[in-house]
Amino acid sequence: MRDVETRSRRYEWLIVAVIIFASLPLILGFALLALSSFSKDMITNLSLESFRPTIENWVNVFQGKLAITGGIRQNILKITFNTLVVALGVSGIVTLISTLAGYSLSRMKFRGRTVMMLLLLVLHAFPGVALIVGVYLFYRLTFPQDPSLVRIYSFFYVVLARAALEIPMSVWLMKGFFDTIPWEFEWSGIIDGASRIKVWWKIMLPLIKPGILAVALFGFLAGWQDLIYVRTFLIDQTLATFIEANIEAEYSHMPLIAAAGTLYLLPTIIFFLTAQQLLLQGYSGGIKG
Amino acid sequence: MKGEKLRSLSFFLSPMIAMVGIFYLIPLVFTVYISFTKMRNWNTEKYLSEIVGLYNYQRLFHMFQHDPMIRAILLTTVVFVGITLIINVFGGLLLALGTFFINESSASSIRLLWLLPRMSPIAVYSLVWYYFFHGSDIGTLNSILLKLGVVSEPIPWGQITPWGVWSIIIFVNGLVGVSFGMIVFTSALNQIPKELVIAARVDGASAWQISRKILIPMLKWHFLYVLTWQFLSLLTTYPHLFLLVEWDLVNRDYGTTLALYVFNTAFGRGEQDQGLAAAAAVLLSIIGIMGGYVTLKVLQFERMIHEPRGDVE
Repeated sequence: MRDVETRSRRYEWLIVAVIIFASLPLILGFALLALSSFSKDMITNLSLESFRPTIENWVNVFQGKLAITGGIRQNILKITFNTLVVALGVSGIVTLISTLAGYSLSRMKFRGRTVMMLLLLVLHAFPGVALIVGVYLFYRLTFPQDPSLVRIYSFFYVVLARAALEIPMSVWLMKGFFDTIPWEFEWSGIIDGASRIKVWWKIMLPLIKPGILAVALFGFLAGWQDLIYVRTFLIDQTLATFIEANIEAEYSHMPLIAAAGTLYLLPTIIFFLTAQQLLLQGYSGGIKG
Repeated sequence: MKGEKLRSLSFFLSPMIAMVGIFYLIPLVFTVYISFTKMRNWNTEKYLSEIVGLYNYQRLFHMFQHDPMIRAILLTTVVFVGITLIINVFGGLLLALGTFFINESSASSIRLLWLLPRMSPIAVYSLVWYYFFHGSDIGTLNSILLKLGVVSEPIPWGQITPWGVWSIIIFVNGLVGVSFGMIVFTSALNQIPKELVIAARVDGASAWQISRKILIPMLKWHFLYVLTWQFLSLLTTYPHLFLLVEWDLVNRDYGTTLALYVFNTAFGRGEQDQGLAAAAAVLLSIIGIMGGYVTLKVLQFERMIHEPRGDVE
């Protein structure tokens, strides 16, 4: 509420204090994880003695040394790269398909349009868990015979399958962005005889850049953070499956896992700091959880 | 003109239709089909063509009646969905109202902070809570309580069945869900005409009176929306529970909901039983479809779909 004149400031500090108190576990948890990545031991028990600053963990993460002793190594750059491939792939496919479909749902009249939009909403509400068994059977049935293609195929499949989960919501989101553009902009083009495809490409896409950015960003975060699909379909490791596998491993040096976790958190934090308005708006679209 | 329109429509829509067909419709048929086979360990060659009728459903109902593990899972699902739903809806409402009454810059930082659980990678988020609730003295919560002298020994939170386990899974998922309600309610509050609130303030109404008499009654539609939507989500999503159970932070039976049970039965460690998992998934889908139908009816989503503008006939 922006009515400064009449707002009572008496209880404002109280509200802020209560909310901050409720947020404490959240702040504490993430802060301790990030701090532990710069320490020789984990400092989750809040004792200051265990905080001995070092950047060794980060050096070891980039060199892939998983344990202090022994030669257990993992190419973490490769793993980060895999995560990035999945995230960019999901982002690209989601953006492309939703800018295409969002335009026609916003601007064109055709039979089945209402049904299609309702169906998209229903799909978004549909239990993901009911799908994954069938999605995996499809994966098995289309598995390539040639072993050299298997790894590439698994990337290809995980990107498509994960993107499919984001499509219903992104199409709705994109349609919303197209709805905000006054349609006089494309009117002249259509009168002059340009095709819808040309109008979409030449007139609409440049106007809709913020929407494209939002959808691409959410697609990226969805692919970047995914755990279930990558561990089910992808043969190579991502940061999610790396952390999953190393929590219980005997040889793991935990501050190093904390460093990998913090590395994994970086894009989130970057978006957090740079795209705040976008995030607050876009998440109202209703990602499940 | 007709052919031209058809061509452009198929250009715009066919990629989406292909994706939906391949990753929603075909898998759905496959899942239903698998629920009628004896499929296990993904041995498609042996079991894909072996139809066993309702065998898996019978097994499932038999387990519902007699298997203590499944009974724990069903009970967990009911408690988890019920309580987390309440926390999500009312927590979101409280946060939205709370941030409504404070200055804009603190409000937006607080909103952003509460988006963190939703934005962070699930593996990192789980890692944070793994340490927070760890049952030994390395656990953050335990060490705080030990330092304060509240307890004398570390408490294995996640192994106290059922309420210790339930508290953890409800807490962890509640934090993720609260932001959804918060954002929906915040955007709804911003659409309420300011004059109403200003007039009440001039008359000397307190924040509490303004909330109760003016704001909350206007949020009815959004309240129902968040309630039904979050119900569907909580019933069928499981990634935030998956690692907590896998890392043994929480007890396996009382930390597993039906959705997670489906996933672990189909893809988990040890023997995998996809036939049974698919049958359970079909049951969950039926509940989900009914819930979705109610949502659409209650909220009259048809009203959200306007006629398209700018089509030249």
